[in-house]
Amino acid sequence: MINKIDEIKNNLQDEIKSVAAPKDAEQLKMKYLGRKGVINDLMKIIPTLPSEQRASFGQQINSLKIDITNIVEELIKKFSSEAIPKLKKEIFDVTLPGKRPLVGKRHPLTQTIDDIKEVFARLGFDVAYGPEVELEYYNFEALNIPADHPSRTDFDTFYIKNDILLRSQTSTVQIRIMEKQKPPIRIIAPGRVYRPDTVDARHSFMFHQVEGLLVDEGVSFADLKGVLNQFIKTYFGQNVQMRLRPSFFPFTEPSAEVDISCSICGGKGCSVCSYSGWVEILGAGMVDPHVFKAVHYDAEKYTGFAFGMGVERITMLKYGINDIRLFYENDMRFLSQF
Amino acid sequence: MKISYNWLKEYVNFYLSPHELADKLTNVGLVVADIQTVDDDFCLEVEVTSNRPDCLGIIGIGREVVALGGGCLHLPETSVESVNKEISKFVNVLVDDPILCPSYTARVVQHITVEPSPEWMQKRLKCIGLRPVNNIVDITNYVMTETGQPLHAFDLDKLSDKKIIVRKAMSGEEIVAINGARRALFHDMLVIADSKRPIAIAGVMGGKETEVSDSTRNILLECAQFEPRQVRRTSKALGITSDSSYRFERGIDPEGIDYASRRVASLIKEYGGGEVASGVIDIRSGRCETKKITLRMERLHKVLGIEIKRDIASDILKRLQFNILNEETGFKPVSTFVDVEVPSFRGDVYREIDLIEEVARIYGYNHIPTKTSISVRGSIKSKYENVEDCICQYLIGLGYYEVKTFSIVDTSPLQSVNLWSDRGGIDIVNPLRQEESRLRTCLLPSLIDAKRYNVNHGIEQVRIFEIAKVYLAGEKLPLEKTCLSILADTDFLTLKGIVESLLLNLGIFSRYEWSVFSEPRLFVDERAARIQLGDMTIGYIGEASKELGFKTSPCMVELDMDLLVESSNVNKKYNALSQYPHVLRDLAIIVDEEVTWSSIEKCIMDTQALHLKGNNFFDIYRGKQIPAGKKSIAFNLCFQATDRTLKGEEVDAAQQVILDALYKTLGAELRKQ
Repeated sequence: MINKIDEIKNNLQDEIKSVAAPKDAEQLKMKYLGRKGVINDLMKIIPTLPSEQRASFGQQINSLKIDITNIVEELIKKFSSEAIPKLKKEIFDVTLPGKRPLVGKRHPLTQTIDDIKEVFARLGFDVAYGPEVELEYYNFEALNIPADHPSRTDFDTFYIKNDILLRSQTSTVQIRIMEKQKPPIRIIAPGRVYRPDTVDARHSFMFHQVEGLLVDEGVSFADLKGVLNQFIKTYFGQNVQMRLRPSFFPFTEPSAEVDISCSICGGKGCSVCSYSGWVEILGAGMVDPHVFKAVHYDAEKYTGFAFGMGVERITMLKYGINDIRLFYENDMRFLSQF
Repeated sequence: MKISYNWLKEYVNFYLSPHELADKLTNVGLVVADIQTVDDDFCLEVEVTSNRPDCLGIIGIGREVVALGGGCLHLPETSVESVNKEISKFVNVLVDDPILCPSYTARVVQHITVEPSPEWMQKRLKCIGLRPVNNIVDITNYVMTETGQPLHAFDLDKLSDKKIIVRKAMSGEEIVAINGARRALFHDMLVIADSKRPIAIAGVMGGKETEVSDSTRNILLECAQFEPRQVRRTSKALGITSDSSYRFERGIDPEGIDYASRRVASLIKEYGGGEVASGVIDIRSGRCETKKITLRMERLHKVLGIEIKRDIASDILKRLQFNILNEETGFKPVSTFVDVEVPSFRGDVYREIDLIEEVARIYGYNHIPTKTSISVRGSIKSKYENVEDCICQYLIGLGYYEVKTFSIVDTSPLQSVNLWSDRGGIDIVNPLRQEESRLRTCLLPSLIDAKRYNVNHGIEQVRIFEIAKVYLAGEKLPLEKTCLSILADTDFLTLKGIVESLLLNLGIFSRYEWSVFSEPRLFVDERAARIQLGDMTIGYIGEASKELGFKTSPCMVELDMDLLVESSNVNKKYNALSQYPHVLRDLAIIVDEEVTWSSIEKCIMDTQALHLKGNNFFDIYRGKQIPAGKKSIAFNLCFQATDRTLKGEEVDAAQQVILDALYKTLGAELRKQ
């Protein structure tokens, strides 16, 4: 029986030499240590032996089993350490791209309007709306723009009928609100306006404005400057400077164009500000007494100011957009940027 | 208006570089948009607002420079040495319509030589972009640029019967203007005529037949005032604008007419070699009165929010050539107001507020303080704003992009879809192009265009929405209805689910009905529905028609936003949570093909079975094991009590009530596995 064990040992030596891959080592393990393997076959012999031999034979088998186990384990280890990727442990790659959910966006123009609304809401301004298809009266006469007046040149208009038009400015809402309410009034009115301009990079026949109006006792030009300055600092940044220039609007007197220091060049002069260091962003002024007369307000008792700004213009300035048409093409590659 | 830097210096002394001058002018409201170097001069392009025609002449701009602190104004001399031949011997002028022509003056110059104008004059005209023609034309242009007063020279020998009649045009008359344009005239237009025909369109442009030519020897110089609105109407109606009409429609200085006339005559005498007939024909319908206005110092303070001393305000007005009537010479001011006479060239100033603006303008807007003392006021978000925010947040969270599309559309059949009214769309009478000539009645066609734009740019799938108005024919003004429209590359039931969740989000729990709807221009037949809340239509939903040509048909919905706002309930209230578990029962019933889920649901809920909390549809099945013409519908029922755990028998009983009702009402049978 001892010979049998020696024979196995010899064979094993030869077989070890022929092991060339982990697969071979596994086969070797199966052959000797498997359920129907050589060791188990030897174990089955034990009961057939005389009882005095059983213990020593069992011990030999056991030591043989331990030897083979060690050899085989070593072989498996040896081959698997020879850099065979298949057998390497998986590594979780944290640098893989995340699975991003689809998230929508509001249109950049709405975002601008929302920002403006929020700044003015903090200053106590409510949001008001008015019709886009308007009586000529609200767009012109009530705003002190009489028929055949040269200032009408600045307000070319789409007409629906003789006395009905598409509003060319959100100032119409001023009149609508003052007709309905008594002072104090503090509103902003965002909305669409229309002018028959041929579409190009700077012009659109439809665009958006935000109008503002504050009427109360004792409101002055200095208050107008205060409110606009607050808006400009909050919206464009604390370091931005404001400048007012006299101008002309039929519905305000005194009237002003409001410029801010150019955010692109910091006031040094660049192509955005036409090398002046200043960029025009809104028109403003004290409500003209003629307008108060149209809404039956006592112009001696009440004073007020109004202002208006172009939403497209402000949005283009803020993001450096150079073509107004992009706002209405609704290209996803554009909308997703804001 | 373009001005020459050197030319301006002729009237006023100042020591400012062109750029410094530009900054100063800009700060008083005359924006200098551009400065160009022209030889040894500079051309400044000044933007003059429509209320300031006095600044449409270099002298006018000179007056502003004076007000800014530069010296005094030097006006050129205009002594006209005339020969002893009375002008009335040469021409007879009749003003037929003194309202439209309040002032008409004529001078006659004889024996002129038409030749190129002097070089210095040509240089100045070229500097401001005017093309020199000949001495006579150049001189009239020169004086117009100088004074702001338009002038016209007629060839005197070409006037029939040596007559000038300022009258309305007669029907059938026509004229060829100096620029070669032939125009039929209408009876409401004012013309300058001789005894036979119109020779000029008053204030707009002279006629070709009587213009000054190389052979002209004797001329008549017209210098007049025409009613601004009349000039504007005529200019617009004829489609002719000129430097003259531009100035007349803004209003010229009625007291400056004679000066301009003398100025042009003296220059022609000097550079055209003629003899000026003595006298002038000056027909005017009455002197315009000098306006007197009072400026109260207290009012100035109130409007501007800064106390400007009386002497400072009065000095500013004086420098602007207002005549101060209550000048104070004492050391201490006693008067609390300034009385002024307005110079004739400032037609725009006629109220106290206009004086306040003048003071503020020259004082400097940037020297007025920036106050932050307005009263405290809380602003309240309207229900509309709250609902709009709620909807937008919801849709953005679902990955939808907001778009903005034009309210003015074309008149194609697709754009003519009107879900909300039987009446037609509203047309624009003066559209720029056919593509934008009607106010839209539906948002969906614009969303379809937006989708198409993206497909054409390689983006196949979109999820977009817009909140905007549609315009429906109304009484006087149209009805402007705000709509919420959504277009998405999803299936019908997904979009429907989005709408259902949206309504729940807005606190709209009332029953709304979905019924089959047909609008073949938008939707696939039988795959579209009208959504009704009570007897009001809240919107339309459906799968995009194949005709629209998309590879995969998106689904679309248009909702009445105003109705959503009205029906929404943003005041949320807490419902107590049950401490006890709910019981779910999964069921499948077999019904006829025609039986709709909504009728099944209604039947279930109508039983008001004990402790029934709700139901959930989950599957529909047709095929093996189900008889032809029938379908199997799987759903669950949810039972729950607020005060105890329900017993199995209680739920069994309630479930049986429901199954009985389904059988009775819809013939539904429980499907056995």
